[in-house]
Amino acid sequence: MKRNVVFTIAVLALCVIAMPAMAAGSETKLTVWYAVSGDSGEAFKAMLEKYDAANDDVSLQYSYSGNYGDTATKVSAALVSNTAPDVALMAAGPLYTGARNDFFIESKINDSDFNKNDIFPGVWEYAEYNGRICAVPYGISTPVLFYNKAIMEKAGINMKNPPKTWDEFFKVAEAAQTKGNITGASDFWGFDVTDVAWLYKSMLSQNGNTVIKVKNNNVSPAFDDEKSVEVATFWKKLVDAKLMPVGQHSNAEKKFLSGNLAFLVASSARIARWAKDPSLKVGAIPMPYFKKPSVALGGNVLIILAKDQKVKEEAWKLVKYLARAENQTGYALKTGYLPIRKSGIALPEAKETIEKNEMFGVAFDQLDYAWSYWHFEQMGTMDQILVQVIDSIERNTMSPKDALQKGAAELQAEIDG
Amino acid sequence: MKKTLKKKYPFTMLFLCFSSLLMIFPFIWMILSAFKTSSDVYAYPPKWIPSSFKWDNFAEVFKKIPFFRFYLNSILVSVTQTFLQILISAMGAFALTKLEFPGRKKIVTFMQSSLFVPEVVTIIPMFLIVSWAGLIDTYGGLILPELSCAFTTMLLMSFFETIPNDLIDAAKIDGCGYYRVFTHVMIPNARTALGTSSLFAFLTHWRSYMWPLLATNNVNLRTLPIGLKYLVQETSTEYQVLMAASVMAIVPVLIVYLLMEKEFVQSITLTGLKS
Repeated sequence: MKRNVVFTIAVLALCVIAMPAMAAGSETKLTVWYAVSGDSGEAFKAMLEKYDAANDDVSLQYSYSGNYGDTATKVSAALVSNTAPDVALMAAGPLYTGARNDFFIESKINDSDFNKNDIFPGVWEYAEYNGRICAVPYGISTPVLFYNKAIMEKAGINMKNPPKTWDEFFKVAEAAQTKGNITGASDFWGFDVTDVAWLYKSMLSQNGNTVIKVKNNNVSPAFDDEKSVEVATFWKKLVDAKLMPVGQHSNAEKKFLSGNLAFLVASSARIARWAKDPSLKVGAIPMPYFKKPSVALGGNVLIILAKDQKVKEEAWKLVKYLARAENQTGYALKTGYLPIRKSGIALPEAKETIEKNEMFGVAFDQLDYAWSYWHFEQMGTMDQILVQVIDSIERNTMSPKDALQKGAAELQAEIDG
Repeated sequence: MKKTLKKKYPFTMLFLCFSSLLMIFPFIWMILSAFKTSSDVYAYPPKWIPSSFKWDNFAEVFKKIPFFRFYLNSILVSVTQTFLQILISAMGAFALTKLEFPGRKKIVTFMQSSLFVPEVVTIIPMFLIVSWAGLIDTYGGLILPELSCAFTTMLLMSFFETIPNDLIDAAKIDGCGYYRVFTHVMIPNARTALGTSSLFAFLTHWRSYMWPLLATNNVNLRTLPIGLKYLVQETSTEYQVLMAASVMAIVPVLIVYLLMEKEFVQSITLTGLKS
């Protein structure tokens, strides 16, 4: 009898000990790394927490992985040592999936509950490698042309009828600089841009050019032809007319926020923060263009790096959840990134936000003509080269044509290795 | 004395004052910015004095990140690393300067050449080793890989070389073995050098960002430099909050510097013992 009681207690104790382990064994652990911090990081983490709480069969382990560059290093190291996360939110994600011949996401995007056609076509381009989808676009942004309302008012410029082309814009910026100096500072300018390469790429596309050419999956630079020279010449015109300061782009935002710059091209991700500050009297207009409206996309994407099929499926469920119209749009409105889905813009909360601040509407409308080029390994180097090219054009150390040709040759050499 | 210096070397004094101002400028800017409002931070031309002193920036830091946890981790990791690194460096320096063994010069040359290898080259192989050892997301993984440092070893070697061999021989005659020579002769005579090396080591570990980021995924193990990055936005960072966190983050460094200041200054002028 005594022996039976001891045996029963032992069996029960074993069951109690084993139960959590059994329960844990049934749930799938997903590790998620995200390369966004501050408000964006908090908003993304909140969505992960919500998903984790609502799904008993999944356990999420998530962590901030540093900025885009740091995350790239962290993911590269983790891939080599088989410790990569199952899901990552990062920039240039296709270089870690498509470039490794991993197109798992492409095989899943036809899921009926994903509705891939709801995502803007230009936004999809941002998730491609060699023309195939290998990521889900997420924290997407475009360059936006912001203006200082007080300067426009002083200069008597009505922004209800904004300039459409760069030539029209040139005249408006000139008038704003001449008549709109609200601070009385000598360091007062008509136009500047925070990210030179980003605007330049947008302008190339507007002028009917591309940044890169792709032939048989081989990438080569395309920013050194006559159309590119036209764009670079216009850029130089802005500098020569003293509308834009030479080589001071890192100070552009400060100048704009302190009332010493009339127009600023900066990321749409500024909108959410600036809209919160009642002291800032800032507006936005659609990006001017040469031949057709066009803006280049930037930002981050979601990728799946899991190896185990079951984990991959769970990771895809999480990605689908994050990319739902209501979730992604909610994230976009909190952070300043843009909705990736057409249905996201039609949501009541998006409409309400646009009504409160027209800058959101301007950025959202630009998604209709937003585009991206294929991801390739030297895309970061290309941006650095473009910045150097434009700097030498601004400083008049090279002619636009020579500078562009030199830059294209440098990039080609990098691609050829 | 002060008057004489000013009169004797007016231009030198002027140059030194100007240089000091240049050095101290970022600190003053950081401290003042920690109290600014958002519009003060973005004011152009820059505003030196905050329009109103905003203490809320400090409270905001604690709302946004687990600052105390990051702080404790940083102190634990930096102090442990500094202690172990100086211990290893001192033992290495002793062996390489005062002991004779085959291949000693080659080891010194190899160590010197390692100074020219940038961290970015070694970080992924190091990650592979730590990952293979199962030390990712552990304090061991944070601390151990950053212990070996050729710089502090060579710094200590240059000081150990000034300690006369006669002193070591005398200790040996008195019955000291290598261990006691190291602890009773070398260490007491190299306190200044050890203080300077500790300061350099502590500063390096306190600021270390990339390795702790790679080696940890768990937020509870992360250190202050990563914590500060949590406050940085992709666009439009709240610099006033970041500066408030930075002001709090430099306090331990200042304490260590004040404790080691005497040794640090002495080390610059140290000439060693006379034979």
